[in-house]
Amino acid sequence: MKIVNWLLLIAFGALLIYGTTGLPNRGDAGAGMHSTRSLVDSPGASSFYIRNALRDAKTPNMVTVILADYRGFDTLGEETVILTAGLICFLVLRRRKKPLKNSR
Amino acid sequence: MIDFIRGHYTYWGVILLMLIGMYGMIFKNNLVKKLIGMTIFQVSIIMFYVASAAKWAATVPVLDPAIGAADAARYISPLQHCLMLTAIVVGVATSGVAFALAIVIYRHYKTLDEPLLIERMKAQP
Repeated sequence: MKIVNWLLLIAFGALLIYGTTGLPNRGDAGAGMHSTRSLVDSPGASSFYIRNALRDAKTPNMVTVILADYRGFDTLGEETVILTAGLICFLVLRRRKKPLKNSR
Repeated sequence: MIDFIRGHYTYWGVILLMLIGMYGMIFKNNLVKKLIGMTIFQVSIIMFYVASAAKWAATVPVLDPAIGAADAARYISPLQHCLMLTAIVVGVATSGVAFALAIVIYRHYKTLDEPLLIERMKAQP
Protein backbone atom coordinates (compact mmCIF):
# COMPACT_ATOMS: atom_id res chain seq x y z
CA MET A 1 0.00 0.00 0.00
CA LYS A 2 2.83 2.38 0.91
CA ILE A 3 4.61 1.36 -2.31
CA VAL A 4 1.56 2.32 -4.38
CA ASN A 5 1.41 5.71 -2.64
CA TRP A 6 5.11 6.40 -3.27
CA LEU A 7 4.75 5.36 -6.92
CA LEU A 8 1.76 7.69 -7.28
CA LEU A 9 3.71 10.56 -5.74
CA ILE A 10 6.78 10.00 -7.91
CA ALA A 11 4.72 9.60 -11.09
CA PHE A 12 2.88 12.84 -10.32
CA GLY A 13 6.14 14.70 -9.78
CA ALA A 14 7.68 13.27 -12.94
CA LEU A 15 4.61 14.26 -14.97
CA LEU A 16 4.80 17.82 -13.65
CA ILE A 17 8.55 18.09 -14.34
CA TYR A 18 7.91 16.81 -17.86
CA GLY A 19 5.19 19.46 -18.21
CA THR A 20 7.57 22.29 -17.35
CA THR A 21 9.83 21.44 -20.31
CA GLY A 22 7.12 22.88 -22.58
CA LEU A 23 6.91 26.16 -20.69
CA PRO A 24 8.74 29.32 -21.82
CA ASN A 25 11.61 30.62 -19.69
CA ARG A 26 10.54 32.51 -16.60
CA GLY A 27 10.64 36.28 -17.11
CA ASP A 28 10.79 36.07 -20.90
CA ALA A 29 8.83 39.12 -22.12
CA GLY A 30 8.36 37.53 -25.55
CA ALA A 31 6.39 34.54 -24.25
CA GLY A 32 2.93 33.97 -25.70
CA MET A 33 1.22 34.87 -22.43
CA HIS A 34 2.70 38.41 -22.51
CA SER A 35 2.24 39.12 -26.24
CA THR A 36 0.19 42.08 -27.40
CA ARG A 37 -1.90 40.05 -29.88
CA SER A 38 -3.41 36.68 -28.98
CA LEU A 39 -3.52 33.63 -31.29
CA VAL A 40 -6.91 34.65 -32.75
CA ASP A 41 -5.63 38.22 -33.28
CA SER A 42 -7.59 39.84 -30.49
CA PRO A 43 -5.68 42.08 -28.04
CA GLY A 44 -3.60 40.00 -25.59
CA ALA A 45 -5.24 40.12 -22.16
CA SER A 46 -2.42 41.23 -19.85
CA SER A 47 -1.01 43.93 -22.16
CA PHE A 48 -4.53 45.19 -22.90
CA TYR A 49 -5.14 45.62 -19.18
CA ILE A 50 -1.79 47.38 -18.68
CA ARG A 51 -2.47 49.86 -21.50
CA ASN A 52 -6.10 50.69 -20.75
CA ALA A 53 -6.39 50.41 -16.94
CA LEU A 54 -5.85 54.10 -16.17
CA ARG A 55 -8.02 55.30 -19.06
CA ASP A 56 -10.95 53.02 -18.20
CA ALA A 57 -11.07 53.20 -14.40
CA LYS A 58 -8.89 56.18 -13.38
CA THR A 59 -6.98 53.93 -10.94
CA PRO A 60 -3.21 53.46 -11.23
CA ASN A 61 -3.17 49.99 -9.64
CA MET A 62 -3.88 47.53 -12.46
CA VAL A 63 -4.64 44.55 -10.21
CA THR A 64 -7.39 46.58 -8.52
CA VAL A 65 -8.81 47.62 -11.88
CA ILE A 66 -8.99 44.01 -13.12
CA LEU A 67 -10.45 42.73 -9.86
CA ALA A 68 -13.09 45.39 -9.30
CA ASP A 69 -13.85 46.84 -12.74
CA TYR A 70 -13.09 44.46 -15.63
CA ARG A 71 -13.90 41.30 -13.67
CA GLY A 72 -16.28 42.71 -11.06
CA PHE A 73 -18.85 40.02 -11.77
CA ASP A 74 -16.24 37.32 -11.14
CA THR A 75 -15.49 38.96 -7.78
CA LEU A 76 -19.21 38.90 -6.97
CA GLY A 77 -19.20 35.12 -7.50
CA GLU A 78 -16.17 34.86 -5.22
CA GLU A 79 -18.03 36.75 -2.48
CA THR A 80 -20.85 34.23 -2.89
CA VAL A 81 -18.34 31.44 -2.24
CA ILE A 82 -17.22 33.13 1.00
CA LEU A 83 -20.83 33.67 2.10
CA THR A 84 -21.62 30.00 1.47
CA ALA A 85 -18.52 28.87 3.37
CA GLY A 86 -19.42 31.10 6.32
CA LEU A 87 -22.99 29.81 6.40
CA ILE A 88 -21.77 26.20 6.26
CA CYS A 89 -19.29 26.80 9.11
CA PHE A 90 -22.15 28.25 11.17
CA LEU A 91 -24.51 25.37 10.40
CA VAL A 92 -21.87 22.68 11.05
CA LEU A 93 -20.48 24.12 14.26
CA ARG A 94 -23.60 25.27 16.09
CA ARG A 95 -24.54 23.40 19.26
CA ARG A 96 -27.96 21.85 18.91
CA LYS A 97 -30.40 21.96 21.82
CA LYS A 98 -31.66 18.48 21.03
CA PRO A 99 -28.70 16.13 20.28
CA LEU A 100 -28.67 14.20 17.01
CA LYS A 101 -29.57 10.54 16.95
CA ASN A 102 -26.51 8.27 17.50
CA SER A 103 -24.36 11.09 18.91
CA ARG A 104 -22.72 10.49 22.27
CA MET B 1 21.07 23.72 -21.34
CA ILE B 2 22.24 26.14 -18.59
CA ASP B 3 19.80 28.69 -20.00
CA PHE B 4 16.97 26.13 -19.78
CA ILE B 5 17.81 25.41 -16.12
CA ARG B 6 18.00 29.11 -15.24
CA GLY B 7 14.60 29.68 -16.81
CA HIS B 8 12.89 26.74 -15.13
CA TYR B 9 14.39 26.10 -11.68
CA THR B 10 11.66 28.25 -10.08
CA TYR B 11 8.99 25.91 -11.45
CA TRP B 12 10.89 22.89 -10.16
CA GLY B 13 11.06 24.39 -6.67
CA VAL B 14 7.33 25.00 -6.77
CA ILE B 15 6.78 21.38 -7.89
CA LEU B 16 8.89 20.19 -4.94
CA LEU B 17 6.64 22.21 -2.60
CA MET B 18 3.56 20.71 -4.29
CA LEU B 19 4.92 17.18 -3.78
CA ILE B 20 5.56 17.96 -0.08
CA GLY B 21 1.91 18.99 0.24
CA MET B 22 0.73 15.86 -1.55
CA TYR B 23 2.98 13.71 0.66
CA GLY B 24 1.25 15.22 3.69
CA MET B 25 -2.18 14.51 2.24
CA ILE B 26 -1.42 10.89 1.29
CA PHE B 27 0.85 9.56 4.06
CA LYS B 28 -0.19 11.30 7.27
CA ASN B 29 -2.89 9.72 9.42
CA ASN B 30 -3.92 12.77 11.43
CA LEU B 31 -6.66 14.81 9.72
CA VAL B 32 -5.16 18.15 10.77
CA LYS B 33 -1.82 17.14 9.20
CA LYS B 34 -3.70 16.28 6.00
CA LEU B 35 -5.22 19.76 6.04
CA ILE B 36 -1.78 21.33 6.51
CA GLY B 37 -0.67 19.37 3.43
CA MET B 38 -3.66 20.67 1.48
CA THR B 39 -2.77 24.26 2.41
CA ILE B 40 0.85 23.75 1.29
CA PHE B 41 -0.48 22.39 -2.02
CA GLN B 42 -2.69 25.45 -2.52
CA VAL B 43 0.16 27.84 -1.73
CA SER B 44 2.41 26.06 -4.22
CA ILE B 45 -0.17 26.53 -6.99
CA ILE B 46 -0.45 30.24 -6.13
CA MET B 47 3.36 30.55 -6.20
CA PHE B 48 3.46 28.86 -9.61
CA TYR B 49 1.05 31.39 -11.10
CA VAL B 50 2.82 34.38 -9.55
CA ALA B 51 6.18 33.07 -10.81
CA SER B 52 4.78 32.79 -14.33
CA ALA B 53 3.71 36.47 -14.27
CA ALA B 54 7.31 37.72 -14.09
CA LYS B 55 9.13 39.65 -16.82
CA TRP B 56 12.79 40.65 -16.59
CA ALA B 57 13.49 44.41 -16.41
CA ALA B 58 9.85 45.11 -15.51
CA THR B 59 8.25 46.72 -12.49
CA VAL B 60 5.15 46.02 -10.38
CA PRO B 61 1.76 46.51 -12.09
CA VAL B 62 1.09 49.95 -10.62
CA LEU B 63 1.18 52.75 -13.16
CA ASP B 64 4.42 54.73 -12.89
CA PRO B 65 4.13 58.24 -14.43
CA ALA B 66 7.82 58.10 -15.39
CA ILE B 67 7.19 55.01 -17.59
CA GLY B 68 3.64 55.52 -18.82
CA ALA B 69 1.18 52.89 -19.99
CA ALA B 70 2.14 52.58 -23.66
CA ASP B 71 4.95 50.00 -23.24
CA ALA B 72 3.32 46.87 -21.77
CA ALA B 73 6.69 45.08 -21.51
CA ARG B 74 7.77 47.40 -18.66
CA TYR B 75 5.17 46.03 -16.20
CA ILE B 76 4.79 42.43 -14.99
CA SER B 77 1.49 40.82 -15.97
CA PRO B 78 -1.33 41.89 -13.60
CA LEU B 79 -3.78 39.17 -14.65
CA GLN B 80 -2.16 36.32 -12.69
CA HIS B 81 -1.97 38.44 -9.54
CA CYS B 82 -5.66 39.25 -9.79
CA LEU B 83 -6.66 35.62 -10.33
CA MET B 84 -4.50 34.49 -7.40
CA LEU B 85 -6.17 37.07 -5.16
CA THR B 86 -9.40 35.21 -5.90
CA ALA B 87 -7.71 31.84 -5.35
CA ILE B 88 -6.34 32.89 -1.93
CA VAL B 89 -9.80 33.92 -0.77
CA VAL B 90 -11.41 30.69 -1.98
CA GLY B 91 -8.57 28.71 -0.35
CA VAL B 92 -9.24 30.38 3.00
CA ALA B 93 -12.95 29.58 2.65
CA THR B 94 -12.35 25.91 1.84
CA SER B 95 -9.84 25.43 4.66
CA GLY B 96 -12.29 27.10 7.06
CA VAL B 97 -15.00 24.60 6.14
CA ALA B 98 -12.48 21.74 6.39
CA PHE B 99 -11.43 22.76 9.90
CA ALA B 100 -15.08 23.08 10.93
CA LEU B 101 -15.71 19.52 9.71
CA ALA B 102 -12.61 18.32 11.60
CA ILE B 103 -13.93 19.92 14.80
CA VAL B 104 -17.29 18.18 14.39
CA ILE B 105 -15.59 14.83 13.72
CA TYR B 106 -13.55 15.27 16.89
CA ARG B 107 -16.63 16.12 18.94
CA HIS B 108 -18.46 13.05 17.70
CA TYR B 109 -15.72 10.38 17.67
CA LYS B 110 -13.13 11.91 20.08
CA THR B 111 -10.27 11.24 17.67
CA LEU B 112 -8.67 12.67 14.53
CA ASP B 113 -6.43 9.67 13.77
CA GLU B 114 -7.70 8.08 10.58
CA PRO B 115 -7.39 4.29 11.23
CA LEU B 116 -8.85 4.73 14.72
CA LEU B 117 -11.59 6.92 13.24
CA ILE B 118 -12.56 4.26 10.69
CA GLU B 119 -12.60 1.65 13.47
CA ARG B 120 -14.91 3.78 15.60
CA MET B 121 -17.13 4.63 12.63
CA LYS B 122 -17.60 0.90 11.98
CA ALA B 123 -18.29 0.23 15.66
CA GLN B 124 -20.69 3.14 16.14
CA PRO B 125 -22.08 4.78 13.01
